[in-house]
Amino acid sequence: MLKITNLHASVEGTSILKGIDLEVKAGETHAIMGPNGSGKSTLAQVLAGHDDYEVDKGDISYLGKDLLELDVDERACEGIFLAFQYPVELPGVNNTYFLKSALNAQRKYRGETEIDAMEFMDLISDKIKLLNLKDSLLKRPVNEGFSGGEKKRNEIFQMAVLEPKLALLDETDSGLDIDALRVVAGGVNAMRNEHNATIIVTHYQRLLNYIVPDFVHVLVDGEIINSGDKTLALELEEKGYDKIIEESKG
Amino acid sequence: MKAINQFRNDFENTLNMSEGIIKNIRSKAFEKFISEKFPTRKDEYWKYSDPSSILKLDLNYNDSGILENGNYDIILSNGKIVKTTTKLKSGTIAEGLNNGSIPKNLLKNEKNPFLNLNNAFAINGCYLILDSEEKKDIKILNLISNDGRSQAIYPKLIIIAKENSDSTIFEEIKVKGTGTNFVNSVTDIIIENGANLEHIILDDFAKDTYNISNICVKQKKDSNFISHNFSVGKKLARRDYNIELVGTGANCDLYGLYFVEGNNHIDHHTTIEHKKEHCTSNEHYKGILSGKAVGVFNGRIHVHPKAQKTDAIQNNQNLLLTDDAIIHTKPELEIYADDVKCTHGATVGQLDDKALFYLRTRGLNQKSAQQLLMRAYVGEIIDHIGNRNIRSKIMDIVLNRLPKGD
Repeated sequence: MLKITNLHASVEGTSILKGIDLEVKAGETHAIMGPNGSGKSTLAQVLAGHDDYEVDKGDISYLGKDLLELDVDERACEGIFLAFQYPVELPGVNNTYFLKSALNAQRKYRGETEIDAMEFMDLISDKIKLLNLKDSLLKRPVNEGFSGGEKKRNEIFQMAVLEPKLALLDETDSGLDIDALRVVAGGVNAMRNEHNATIIVTHYQRLLNYIVPDFVHVLVDGEIINSGDKTLALELEEKGYDKIIEESKG
Repeated sequence: MKAINQFRNDFENTLNMSEGIIKNIRSKAFEKFISEKFPTRKDEYWKYSDPSSILKLDLNYNDSGILENGNYDIILSNGKIVKTTTKLKSGTIAEGLNNGSIPKNLLKNEKNPFLNLNNAFAINGCYLILDSEEKKDIKILNLISNDGRSQAIYPKLIIIAKENSDSTIFEEIKVKGTGTNFVNSVTDIIIENGANLEHIILDDFAKDTYNISNICVKQKKDSNFISHNFSVGKKLARRDYNIELVGTGANCDLYGLYFVEGNNHIDHHTTIEHKKEHCTSNEHYKGILSGKAVGVFNGRIHVHPKAQKTDAIQNNQNLLLTDDAIIHTKPELEIYADDVKCTHGATVGQLDDKALFYLRTRGLNQKSAQQLLMRAYVGEIIDHIGNRNIRSKIMDIVLNRLPKGD
C-alpha cells in the first residue's frame, strides 16, 4: 500500500528526516516510536502533505501513485487520514456540516454520488456511539471548547466516518486518560480490516497495549534504527531509548 | 466644483415643487449647505474617504425612477414612493410634517453637510409610523435606477417607533441600470419608550456609484435598537450610524458585515452617544476585503458625564484576502463618566493556515476550505438576525458574495 524509499525532509533548511525506508501493506498496523524531536510527527505531516515540510530526496509510492505529486486534499480523497496531535479549533464551523462536506468532497472525487442529510445522519449515529461522544458535540463548532479527550475522540470519529485506507495516528494517546484511551483504541480496532492499514506515531508503549501493532519501528534523529514486532515496544519501555540507541549502534 | 453649481440649479429649479413647512426646511438646509466648505480629506472625519471626488461629477437631480412591483410593503424608486399600503401609516415627508406625524425639529440644520444636502432635496421621501403596542414586519425596497445618465438621488426615510411597539424592518437596496449615481441617503429613526426596532439593511453591488448614507437614531427610555448592516463597497461608499441614547436603560446592538473588492472603497463611521445612565451598546462589525480595495472603520463611543453605569462593547474584525487590500480601523472612546464599562477590539488578519490545512486533510480542496472558513466568519454576524426567513435569505446572498478566487 505504502512504500517509502530513502526519504529526506527538512523544515526551513533544517534536515529532519534523513533516509527513511518503510513499507506498509494492507491489513498491517505499524507503530513508529522515538524520543522527542526524532522526526515522528514530521513523517506524519509529510505523508499528509503539509507544505511547511520540504521533501529533499526519496520517493513515496502509495497505491501505485507517486504520493508526492498529490495535493493535501487529493491525498485525503485517496484514503489517507491524519489524526492530529493537536486538532485545530474551527470557530463557527459546525461539526456536522464540516464532516458532511468532507465526506461528500471525497465521494465526489471518487465519482460516487453525494450523500444527503438523512443518510448522513444515519451514518454518523452509529459511529458516534462507537466513540462514546455526546450528540451535542455534533452541533457545536469543530473542536471549539472541546476537552482534550473530546478532541482526540472527535478525530477518530471523523476517521470512522471517512473510512480511510491509510490512517496516520499522530500521538493520539497524548492527553488521554485511561478510559478515553480505551474508547479511542476500541474505535481504531473496530475499523481495522485486511483492506486498510494504520501507522501509529507515539512516544509511549501505553497505546500499543490496546492497539496491538504488527511492526514496531524506532525512529531516532530522522532514521529508523531498529524494527521488530510488538515485543520491541515492550523492550523500549523497559530499557528506555538511550539503551536501544546504544545497542543499535553497537 | 461642477457639482456644486448643479446642486444650486437643481435646488432652485425644484424648490417650487414644495410648499409650506417643507419648503422652508429645504431653503434653510440649502443655505446652510452652500455657506459651508465642502469636506475634503483634510477633515479628520473624512481622512480616508475623499468626498471631493463627488464634486467632479456631472450630476442632475432625478426622481423619475422605474416602477417596480414586488413583495414589499413600501417601494421607493429614486427616492420617490411608488408603492405603499394603506395598512401602514406612511406618506411623503411633506405630508408627515403637515399632519404632525413628524416632529418639526427633526429636520433641523446639522453639522454634517450631507444631512443638510439631503434635507435641501427632501422633495419626496417617506415617513413611517409604527403604532404603539403593535408588532409589525415591514419590507422596504429602496431602488436606485438609472437609464444611463449621471444623477443625484436623495432617498429619505423617517421611521418613528411609538411606545412599546415591536417591529422588524427589512430594507433592501437595489441598484439597476447603467450610469453614474450619487446617492445621498438619510434615514432618521426615533424609538420611543420601551419600543423594539430591528432594522436590517441589505446593500447591493453597483458600478459607478457614490453613496453617502447616514442613519440617525434617537433612542428613548428602555428602547432597543438592533441593526444589521450588510454593505458593499463602491466607487465611494460611506455609511454612518449616529446613535443617541437619550433615555435611561436604552440598548443598541450594531452588527455589520462589509464586502469590498477591486478598486472599491467602503467606510463606516459609527457614533454612539451614551447620554443617560444604565444604557448599553454592543457593536460588532466584520469586513472581507480583496483586490486593491480600501476599507475604513471608525467606531466612536462617547460617554457623557451623566451616563453612569454605561456598558459599551465594540469589536471590529477584518479579513484581508489579498496583499494589496487596505483597512483603516480605529476605535474612538471618549468617556466623561467614571462608573462605566467600555471594551473595544480590532483585528486584521488572513484565513488561518492551520485551519485550512486541517480542512484539506479531510478532503476539501483549497477553495472549498476557504469558503467554509469564510462562511463561518460571516455566520457570526448573520446569526444575530431574529427572523429566520430573513436570516436564511441573507445567508444565501452573502455566500454568493464571498470572493470566489483562490
